[in-house]
Amino acid sequence: MDISVVILIASFIALLLLNVPIGVSIALSGFFALLFSLDFISTTTTMAQRMSAGVDSFALLAIPFFILSGFLMGQGGIAHRLIEFAKILVMRLPGGLAFVNILSCTLFGAISGSAVAATSAIGGFVIPEMEKDRYSREFSTAVTVTASTTGMLIPPSNILIVYSLASGGVSIAALFLAGYLPGILVALCLMIASGIYAKIKGFGVPTQKQSGQVMKKTLDALPSLFLVFLVIGGIVSGYFTPTEAGAIAVLYSFVLSTFIYKEVKFEELTQVLNKSVCTTAIVMLLIAASSAMSWVLSYENIPQSISDYFLSFSNNPIIVLLMINILLLMVGTFLDMTPAVLIFTPIFLPIVEALGISPIHFGIIMILNLSIGLCTPPVGSVLFVGCSIGKTSLARVIPPLLPLYVAMFVALLIIICVPSLSTWLPSILID
Amino acid sequence: GISQDVKILKLAHGLDAKHPVHLSMVHFAERLEDYSDGEMRVKIYPSGQLGSERELIELIQIGSVDLTKVSASSLEPFIPKMRIFSTPYLFRSSDHLWAVLNGSIGEELMKAGEPYRIRGLGYYDAGSRSFYTTKRAVSSPKDLQGMKIRVMNSPSAVAMVKAMGGAPTPISWGELYTSLQQGVVDGAENNLPSFYLSKHYEVAKYLILDEHTSIPDVVITGTKTWDLLNDQQRKWVNKAMDDSVAFERKLWEKVSQESLAEVKTAGVTVFEADKSQFLESVRPIHEQIKSSDLGELYNKIREVH
Amino acid sequence: MTLTKVCNRIDYVLEVFTSFLMIGLVLDVTWQVVTRFFTSNPSSFTEELARFFLIWIAFLGAAHAYRKGAHLGLDYFVNKFSDNVKNRIVSLVLIFVTVFSTCILFVGGSCLAYLAWDLEQTSASLGLSISLVYLVIPMSGLLFVLFTAEFYKNYSNNI
Ligand code: NA
Ligand code: NA
Repeated sequence: MDISVVILIASFIALLLLNVPIGVSIALSGFFALLFSLDFISTTTTMAQRMSAGVDSFALLAIPFFILSGFLMGQGGIAHRLIEFAKILVMRLPGGLAFVNILSCTLFGAISGSAVAATSAIGGFVIPEMEKDRYSREFSTAVTVTASTTGMLIPPSNILIVYSLASGGVSIAALFLAGYLPGILVALCLMIASGIYAKIKGFGVPTQKQSGQVMKKTLDALPSLFLVFLVIGGIVSGYFTPTEAGAIAVLYSFVLSTFIYKEVKFEELTQVLNKSVCTTAIVMLLIAASSAMSWVLSYENIPQSISDYFLSFSNNPIIVLLMINILLLMVGTFLDMTPAVLIFTPIFLPIVEALGISPIHFGIIMILNLSIGLCTPPVGSVLFVGCSIGKTSLARVIPPLLPLYVAMFVALLIIICVPSLSTWLPSILID
Repeated sequence: GISQDVKILKLAHGLDAKHPVHLSMVHFAERLEDYSDGEMRVKIYPSGQLGSERELIELIQIGSVDLTKVSASSLEPFIPKMRIFSTPYLFRSSDHLWAVLNGSIGEELMKAGEPYRIRGLGYYDAGSRSFYTTKRAVSSPKDLQGMKIRVMNSPSAVAMVKAMGGAPTPISWGELYTSLQQGVVDGAENNLPSFYLSKHYEVAKYLILDEHTSIPDVVITGTKTWDLLNDQQRKWVNKAMDDSVAFERKLWEKVSQESLAEVKTAGVTVFEADKSQFLESVRPIHEQIKSSDLGELYNKIREVH
Repeated sequence: MTLTKVCNRIDYVLEVFTSFLMIGLVLDVTWQVVTRFFTSNPSSFTEELARFFLIWIAFLGAAHAYRKGAHLGLDYFVNKFSDNVKNRIVSLVLIFVTVFSTCILFVGGSCLAYLAWDLEQTSASLGLSISLVYLVIPMSGLLFVLFTAEFYKNYSNNI
């Protein structure tokens, strides 16, 4: 292997172990590796440009917006009312609030198309509410993080569009249809796993009779429910893009919590703003750094050489497919989703097509693999946002994440083995 | 192992590996290796792996990327003269366009980048841009009235759609497919291969061939890279680029025809436009350009036959 | 004035400024929706402005969050060592953060801003100089170095 590969991986691991902030570790290891190919000034200038380019995207605005609206909803009583309403629906189930969380994240991720936005919008208010109902903060965070990624598969999904472009020809409409059933399957698996986990750990307040309050709670929640209606309705009927919906959500929750519910005072507003700036900046530094690192990886041709190395082991189709899945999981562990799709689709697609796997099916497999990568350390943007929102650390959130990883793997296996889960809907709805 | 004497050029661009531009780049790489007898090689990074067009131009200036292909409109913020290409109906025909590009004006525009550390190597055909819409067909500027049309993030594109009566709406390229689908915008504009390859024809079922602008692609290198090449190497690069340009123009023509046929098969209704009405609607833009600092260049282009 | 007091002042300005950027971001994008919805003349500069605000929030906010100690790290392994070893590791971490902020943010960011200024690159829609956007990178680098120095000073006083 090339010297720059060794430098990159070794320095990354060393810096992580020393507890250097992860964003700094990522950027520095890319920087050290690039020094072997370019002079000092070109290296520093290129790294600075790649970091800034990493956050120079309109779609990323969804992150600050939904972080801000999430905090406002939590502080301003909107969240509480929504949760009280949702509890009416899931009262009798073990882990009821976990289900509410998963459903909300799935729905929100599906509509907004951004897992990070879903984690910040939903996690920002559901995690504190779950804590009130005696769920552990770590478990609540883990549920939010994993459930938010299901929206990558359920349309509309920008990442499936990126895949279509990178594959040079798969229909976006077909990919969108293909994503529904696998996305729902992942959400179901997560529900089963978290239901069992919550039951074992005894999370959740025992159910009480609340029949008299149903009407009052529903009425109470109406203005808050209108926010959901506004965001989702506005996107679906084309009044605004998912990114713009974030700004609308901020404005509505600001007006509702400050002037109507009057539960947020001016002083608290400045705190909410500051918290949002911090959480946004933490995530943005990570995105900036990892996009610089993935640039260095491509520049040094590292993805190609690693996959060549792995795929040279066997010609057996099952082993090749297994290798590709392992590689994709590893890739998702280090790289962000969009660069991963851009770099690896052209490498893997011809191989799997030769094995007789349809490009639609492979697209779903690839996105699910990378979705799992969004919630795994060392690099996982959704995991990081979850930790900041849920005010917990990586080390503490891992144990409750384990059963949820298992659930996602089970879903992945089912989706790989049953191609018709992905291909059936497109085949009947597109002639 | 590659010996120390081999010069490797890093070439990055934003299109996928099936796009005619990429194939022409591959052709360039093959010719260069041929001419130089293996002394020069090209490593190609497709699909925007190394950045968007604007970012790639910066990387060329920095010197970490050697070559790229960008639209002339992406060069506008770097080389002000390139704004001229965004003028709608500037060229009377494809022949007129190529007479300009292959003549002294084309040469002059290539050289205009030198103070900005950019050196043009050749023009690729990028066809003509036309409108496509989702809800109803457009046959004249009148039909564009009140329609939200996605444009590139540039003042010239905004001014053009405004002059034609539409509502120019900047949406990022990545968000465009869903924006068309959900109805955030009613239409967009691009060349035929992009309309086909972006799959926008799945949601936009009306295409009108009004061919309002013909903005060429430009293959550029940085003066930083260029200065490091010796005369012999520069000759090889130029020669290989000439071959690649000829190759691209033929391939582009073929792919455009194929794209048109494909979108028709996919159920897109294609209209021929009465271009005179569109041309009439953008007259004010021509007047404005004539009286601006680009006036001289404008007149010179119009005089070419 | 002590270093801490200087840092407090700067950090306060940072906090207020980034909060205003955040409010600006919301208003900017709302304006984009409103003009598209109610007028036939949708604003065309808002998309670009929003991206520039985000870059500023990202780099300035990163320095602010750094002073708060809010950036994530893997503390799992470091916690297994004795205090003596831990102190040495902390010094090492500060060195690496300094390398990051001087080399990549300060030097790289300055070169990038200078290049955009020298070669007169303007933004596509607003016609702003791109160097204004990139200027935030070296600024963030300086802030990182300053806060690292403050942290080192207070930390070494406490051992
Ligand atoms: Na989605
Ligand atoms: Na990961």
